[in-house]
Amino acid sequence: MRNIVTIARKELQGYFASPIAYVVLGFFALLYGYFFYTLLWYFDRQSMQVAPGSGMTMNVNQMLIGPVFMNVSVIVLFIMPMITMRTYAEEKRSGTIELLLTSPLTDWQIILGKFLGALLLYTVMLSVTLIHVGTLFYFGDPEWKPVATGYLGLLLMGGCFISAGLLISSLTKNQIVAGMVTFAVFLLLWVINWIGQSLGPTGQAIVTHLSITDHLDDFARGIIDTKHLVYYASFIVFGLFLTAKSVDSERWRG
Amino acid sequence: MIEVQHLSKRYGPFTAVDDVSFNVGAGEILGFLGPNGAGKTTTMRIITGYMPATDGAVSVAGYDVFSQPIEAKKRTGYLPETPPLYPDMTVRDYVTFVARIKGVPAREVKSRVEDVMRKTHVADMASRHCGKLSKGYKQRVGLAQALIHNPDVLVLDEPTAGLDPKQIIEARQLITELGGSHTVVLSTHILPEVSQTCHRVVIINKGKVVAVDTPANLTARLRGSETLYLQVHAPGADVAAGLSHVAGVTRVKADLHDNGLAAVEVDSEQGRDVRRELAAAVVHQGWGLLELRPMRMSLEDIFLSLTTEDAGDAVEPAAPAPATEAADA
Ligand SMILES: Nc1ncnc2c1ncn2[C@@H]1O[C@H](COP(=O)(O)OP(=O)(O)O)[C@@H](O)[C@H]1O
Ligand SMILES: [Mg+2]
Repeated sequence: MRNIVTIARKELQGYFASPIAYVVLGFFALLYGYFFYTLLWYFDRQSMQVAPGSGMTMNVNQMLIGPVFMNVSVIVLFIMPMITMRTYAEEKRSGTIELLLTSPLTDWQIILGKFLGALLLYTVMLSVTLIHVGTLFYFGDPEWKPVATGYLGLLLMGGCFISAGLLISSLTKNQIVAGMVTFAVFLLLWVINWIGQSLGPTGQAIVTHLSITDHLDDFARGIIDTKHLVYYASFIVFGLFLTAKSVDSERWRG
Repeated sequence: MIEVQHLSKRYGPFTAVDDVSFNVGAGEILGFLGPNGAGKTTTMRIITGYMPATDGAVSVAGYDVFSQPIEAKKRTGYLPETPPLYPDMTVRDYVTFVARIKGVPAREVKSRVEDVMRKTHVADMASRHCGKLSKGYKQRVGLAQALIHNPDVLVLDEPTAGLDPKQIIEARQLITELGGSHTVVLSTHILPEVSQTCHRVVIINKGKVVAVDTPANLTARLRGSETLYLQVHAPGADVAAGLSHVAGVTRVKADLHDNGLAAVEVDSEQGRDVRRELAAAVVHQGWGLLELRPMRMSLEDIFLSLTTEDAGDAVEPAAPAPATEAADA
């Protein structure tokens, strides 16, 4: 455990020692801020149209926070490759992988350390949204439960992206290639449900199941469904498992 | 301290290391000598547990590196060919990080880090980013990294490559100091390196061990076979044929130049002085003898003769098989 934390700490230090962390955080804050205010403006306009005393109430959770979470998931898709691209690729290029692999660490400690490091940066990034969500709680009266499950969903979804990103980074020495391939794969996982719509009901069911972001819907509505938990957990574990295989086979090939 | 037994490594169909065996005793400094592509780095990567072997076994401090990698790695310090530094980390942060992953107890980390930085003379750069260091400093930080957990075994891959002469002398001094308290294996393709720092030398070529001996013995053994150099004026004559009949001569190699001068190397049986007979033979053929002197074999020549393509015909007695047998005897 101590080793995992040491690696995670080194990863996090690495993000903040290079421009990556700042680019990631700045980019996220910018895009997120834009989406948030657009949605807020839209929400505001709609609530104006609801006649007072008509019995209709605007639900902040459904109308604002839910969509905000879905938008965050799209931003994450663009930003996550920047977080994961160098994890393995750069260690292999610079030769520091030799240090890690000749230290008394197991491959899993290294992988989990890197996973945790990326997840921590991602968490820091998500915490930017707490400011806005906090404002809503201050001025409005949203339910806290869908907000909490929404964050849980975002964390799990981020975990999936990181897991896939680690795997792709472990397959190359070039972090730029890693970043681009990761982005392409994420994009595919995102648009896959659009493709699914043209495949009829069965095709759509399968494809929706595969889409990382679709599983987020229920979380954003305040529902914790085991189906989604299992999906995210198995996606993460499977990705890390393949990463371990990739690192090991690299070792044989030298 | 290190036992390498019948080690082989294949990359696909290509055999990079072929049935290599040697032992290194505690406190010994062993030089691993061979030209580029000989398989030095590959062997070292297997000893340090970076990659598995295709065949054979390696144990470090009694632990098998394949079946007990964690225990073996705790006792091994490794400086790869390029120091594995994180450019964005300061020297102190970097060495501290390595201390942690090498399993230095938490409360000792700080003092170990300062200690090792002093020992490797990098303390003055402690707050500098690793990426901004000169080549010499990078190498020393690499050494600091390898030493941080006070390992029994130190594996140094070309530790002086790319350093300037002053830095090389410092590095050698440091390595010599380390021998005794650590078992050191260092690789190099440069000769003076081994004759000055190593107790024993393993010469490797094309993945095979060619010789194992002390630097002094290697020189002595090869000097046993006397090689003479002659310069002869013999226009148009077959000098090699003319001299190979002389009693005691085992081999003659002659380069005839256009101006009628021939540069001739003559090997003779061990301990037999054929200079008089050779001189007589030259005169007898009616050639002019311009120069006749023994060729001193430096370790460098040995190395070249052992590891170049035509090792067989350059120095007969040093052909691979007898050399290794002699080393074991
Ligand atoms: N990962 C690899 N894949 C294929 N061939 C390799 C690999 N690493 C080294 N080799 C080959 O193995 C041989 C030995 O290399 P190496 O151990 O690096 O030699 P040295 O360190 O003595 O220069 C070389 O011919 C090299 O090209
Ligand atoms: Mg090498």
